[in-house]
Amino acid sequence: MEYAIEARGLVKSFGNVLALNGCSFTVGEGEVFGLIGPNGAGKTTTLRIVGTILKPTSGSVEVFDVDVVRSPDEVREMISYLPEEAGAYQNLSGDEYLRFMAGFYTDSGGEKEMVEEGERISGLGERLRDRVKGYSKGMKRRLLLARALMVKPRLAILDEPTSGLDVVHAYHVRRMIKDYVKEHGVTVLLSSHNMLEVEFLCDQVVLINEGTIVAEGRPDELKGRYGAENLEQVFMEVTRLE
Amino acid sequence: MSNSLLNLIVKEIKELVRDPKILLGVILMPLLIFPIMGSAISISQKSVEKALISASFAVYDEDGGPAAEALLSFLEANNTVIPIDAPALEDALRAFQETDASSLLYIRDGYSENVSRGLKGRVKLYANLRSLTIAETGSTEVINSLLNVYGYYFSLARIRQLLTEAGESADPDAVRSPLSISYASVIKGNVLEVHPQAIFGLIMSQSIMLPIMMMIMLMFAIQMAATSIAIEKEQKTLETLMTLPVGRMTILTGKLAGSIVVAVAGAAAYMVGFGYYMNSAFGFAPEMTSMSLGDAGLGLQPLGFLLLGIVIFVTLVSGLALAISLAVFTDNVRSAQSLTGFLTIPVIIPAIILMFTDLEMLPPAVRWALLVIPYTHSIVASKAAFLGNYAVVAGSIAYITAFTVAVLYTAARIFSTERVITARIRSFSLRELLHKR
Repeated sequence: MEYAIEARGLVKSFGNVLALNGCSFTVGEGEVFGLIGPNGAGKTTTLRIVGTILKPTSGSVEVFDVDVVRSPDEVREMISYLPEEAGAYQNLSGDEYLRFMAGFYTDSGGEKEMVEEGERISGLGERLRDRVKGYSKGMKRRLLLARALMVKPRLAILDEPTSGLDVVHAYHVRRMIKDYVKEHGVTVLLSSHNMLEVEFLCDQVVLINEGTIVAEGRPDELKGRYGAENLEQVFMEVTRLE
Repeated sequence: MSNSLLNLIVKEIKELVRDPKILLGVILMPLLIFPIMGSAISISQKSVEKALISASFAVYDEDGGPAAEALLSFLEANNTVIPIDAPALEDALRAFQETDASSLLYIRDGYSENVSRGLKGRVKLYANLRSLTIAETGSTEVINSLLNVYGYYFSLARIRQLLTEAGESADPDAVRSPLSISYASVIKGNVLEVHPQAIFGLIMSQSIMLPIMMMIMLMFAIQMAATSIAIEKEQKTLETLMTLPVGRMTILTGKLAGSIVVAVAGAAAYMVGFGYYMNSAFGFAPEMTSMSLGDAGLGLQPLGFLLLGIVIFVTLVSGLALAISLAVFTDNVRSAQSLTGFLTIPVIIPAIILMFTDLEMLPPAVRWALLVIPYTHSIVASKAAFLGNYAVVAGSIAYITAFTVAVLYTAARIFSTERVITARIRSFSLRELLHKR
């Protein structure tokens, strides 16, 4: 079976700090896969390695059978990455930002269609004509998520997609992801420390703590295994932090 | 040019030009501020000129003899004189301060007697410095010049009289100044009938602009590029760019090219503004406009102009590449600006030194230390381009290019690794460095 992601024995150290300590997991095509863990657990490092930004100290990652270290350019053709709390270019309008990003994926013929898709996903309407510097945090996140999804990637990597957003914007962003996956069947790898969000969005999750995977499975399966009402309780149980 | 590169350059230019700080500081400021400064200087100079023309001065004649009267008549014929009648010098000085005159000529008692006996007539000038302006000192200069003219003609008349008495025939002026000196300058094998001081003044007045311009343009460019990279890191837009299907070198080139376009526009605005400033501020000075560098055979020839363009281009690229290479090690705008602030030191030092002197005049150790700095070559090459020393310009271009290639290689290496994202210098200050040590 071809996996969307196959990570084997991932280790990543920054000087004396060991960020990942032998993580292995697989993500099936069309799955929404969640990495759950507290701040500093190694979620962003994992996503950055899959996103070809960082190289693992040891271990390997393949995205649709392409090695991220050996063929990063090929991997970048298939992925779309949304960093945590990222911004957009302040002096461009929302529309200009989408056009700028579309320019890397398509020629001028396909650009219009891609930008229209981005406009539709963002749901920002007329506000897309305004400069990004006037956007609220939630509007920026919707624009960035629209940018990440409009290119129809085979794998979307979303780092804390709703971090710091109010209820309304967080709800809208979750719906954007859910609807898009349903509509296009893309694979999503996301990280979050919001367990309820993960339960709502993910087919499969891994719980990660201090650079090590401590549990993995489907949300219902994990709750059943640990007799918990939600993933938060599962996490506390497996990390024995309580 | 690939679509991705063009896309990046257009984005970079839009981002920079739409930033009010850059638009105002780099493009609009030189176009607005310099002409305003020029006009202000011009207005004040004109008012000084007007004040000098209408300047009056007071005269206290303690002597009252025929020679003093002759001097007074000469002064009255050439300017407005306010005679002061007082019993003593102290009273005259008090009265002088109540007048509008800014200078007082005091003709001492015994002036006429001395003159008639062939001795020096003694006078004294008092300047009343009420507001310490240029106009006040100028007015003293006016009366001083009048006295010198009077002295000259008086001495000629006296020499003529003595020659007649002695029965000799000679030109009184030749007796007074027996040598007639004329000057010429040899430049690039051509003999020009111009005083070397005039040529030197001309070169200085125009070549001094080059180091200043080069320095300001580079500092703008360095700050702009560093800020732009730091914003990309702060906003994590660089992190996003790194995951797009576009080469790292394309990203780096796009960043450099966009910054160069804006920096060149800034330099052009600066040149236009500064040119206007020079014309309006110093247009009244006839000695600066009577001759151009072209008349002296020192103007920029087409080849020199081309080479000067190349010098500016490679200098800009090296500065930008250096700024970008350094700024990737920071994670916010503030630390990027303080880090690149240190870069302005090797830019300012050669500019200031070479503004006043030449490399050859410096001690060898200082000269070699300066020659290691690429920006010294930028200034040396600019001056050499004006003088037509194209070999020097080519050598400087080669050195700056070699330095730029080394920096670009480093920048490309940094961009091709994860260090572009993971490198961190949170703050950069001497105090903290010393504290750590």
